[in-house]
Amino acid sequence: MTHDKITIKDVTKQFIVKHSIVTALKDVSMTVHEGEFVCIVGPSGCGKTTLLRILAGLETMTSGRIEMVHSDRNKPLNSMVFQDQSVFPWLTVRHNIGFGLKCRNVDQKEIDEVTARYIKMVGLAKFADAYPYQLSGGMKQRVSVARAFANDPEILLMDEPFAALDEQNKIMLQEELLRIWEGSNKTVVFITHSIDEALILADRVIIMTSHPGTFKATVDVDLPRPRTISTLRGKEKFNTLFMELWNILREEVWKAKQSEGLTYEEGGPGTGPAGETCEGSVICDESDLVM
Amino acid sequence: MATEDPLRSKVLTGSQVGELSAGTTFVATAERPIDASGKVKGRFSLGPRANRVLGLLSPLLIVALWETASQTGVVDARFFPPPTEIAETFWHMLTHDAQGTPLPFLNMLTESVLMKDLWVSLSRIIVGFFLGAVPGLIIGLSMGLFRPVRLLLRPIVSATYPIPKLALLPLVMVLFGLGETSKYVIIALGTFFMVLINTMAGVLNLEKIYLDVAKNFGASRTDFYTRVAFPGAMPLIFTGLELGMGMALLLIVAAEMNGAAEGIGARVWMSYAIYNLREMYVAFILIAALGYLFAEGLAALERKVVPWKPQ
Repeated sequence: MTHDKITIKDVTKQFIVKHSIVTALKDVSMTVHEGEFVCIVGPSGCGKTTLLRILAGLETMTSGRIEMVHSDRNKPLNSMVFQDQSVFPWLTVRHNIGFGLKCRNVDQKEIDEVTARYIKMVGLAKFADAYPYQLSGGMKQRVSVARAFANDPEILLMDEPFAALDEQNKIMLQEELLRIWEGSNKTVVFITHSIDEALILADRVIIMTSHPGTFKATVDVDLPRPRTISTLRGKEKFNTLFMELWNILREEVWKAKQSEGLTYEEGGPGTGPAGETCEGSVICDESDLVM
Repeated sequence: MATEDPLRSKVLTGSQVGELSAGTTFVATAERPIDASGKVKGRFSLGPRANRVLGLLSPLLIVALWETASQTGVVDARFFPPPTEIAETFWHMLTHDAQGTPLPFLNMLTESVLMKDLWVSLSRIIVGFFLGAVPGLIIGLSMGLFRPVRLLLRPIVSATYPIPKLALLPLVMVLFGLGETSKYVIIALGTFFMVLINTMAGVLNLEKIYLDVAKNFGASRTDFYTRVAFPGAMPLIFTGLELGMGMALLLIVAAEMNGAAEGIGARVWMSYAIYNLREMYVAFILIAALGYLFAEGLAALERKVVPWKPQ
């Protein structure tokens, strides 16, 4: 936990939209330690996906500096789990999971072994030779997670991988992710808009603001591991951290909404019904704000 | 309440709803149970065998009408010879060589008038088809995957594609002579554009996220071709192959119009020259049969190669 794995220094990203410059990220800086699980939480449109895509090498930055320590040349530096449906429709579950290994020309015998292990780990043994159109949304996302893990990268980048899933599936997959990750010593940067999810998974939560995207606060999550939803939910500490994060975030979300011309009926980000009703649910959706 | 069932909702419309007194337990039952043979009761439906018979009914009916009309003189038998006579000619062409000598059974497949025509045209179509489809596929994938290639080649493709291939035939014959090569080339040209344009569209229609995944997972340039673009574009590649095949059949007749002694196309023009329309109809049957077989073959191949597409 002492080595710095990712160092991000003053990263700025600007897009040109209809002849005007939009700043998606402004002077973002952070350090992620080796083996650390970091969640980035922020309102939608705050640039968190952009940051992750820059880390994944899918997007360039306008200015700034990113350093990622690549300690084992035999392993890929990072692999990403995408938010949307990203499992190749033309490959079976087995071949989807082995995709990264195949691209790296790993020995076929080893690919078979590794793939079989992860198919089992995500509970898809019966569907190893099924095509994605035969799978449910939750199963596809399992394939996507297994594909990233099977590639055995040093850093995992996860872009709201469970956002599109229903509540039951989400909880199952969060626990599966924890179980697989806890035995792996991988560094994870996980993006979410759910405080709950961040608290369940992360060692550290970073809160982002929007327009332009900057880092606002960092909160350490010193909850014991291994974690499961049932051991976490009842804990006083969990609730305290939830309120701490929500209080930071609420102000942000409120500011963002105010700039869009929306107002609270209760008159602002103080204590009130808005805070109470949001406890335990996903935040940042309009439905939670204008009630 | 089972009011969402479209069959049941009928029962509950209008004033009838009010007639359901409070506390009534509403039980939904299936009104159209499916019996063991897969038929839904109460709906007009036949078994799969009957469906196939139904599909054969309309062509048989037309042939029967044609026969009667031609025999009775309702239509001119010189232009529309009765199907029985066409079948007779078909049999004669299958069992005799060009000199009219009857052939022993084993030699029919290679030496009879009909089979010779068939093999000659078939080999021209197949060679020309591959000569056009393979480069069409490779260039189509490259144009789909790489923007610079697309920008470079698109104007040429857009400008040459609309030229009717038939209009190019004289030029092709000047350049490649009257032999086999000019036939291959003209068929290749027709196939090339169909495959190229559809392959490119297939790659461009791929969700961008698949390219992101490939890039993030360290796919090489070859991997982009073989593991992403090619399999991903496969459904549209098959559309291109089917259209290319149709184009090949269309062009073979024209290509064999000049300077060809054998082939289905040549047969059409020769029978026109000697006013033997029965042989022309036999040639039509051959072309139709080829088209049908190609389409079925490609469809079977597609089911095999693209098992990931929901049926």
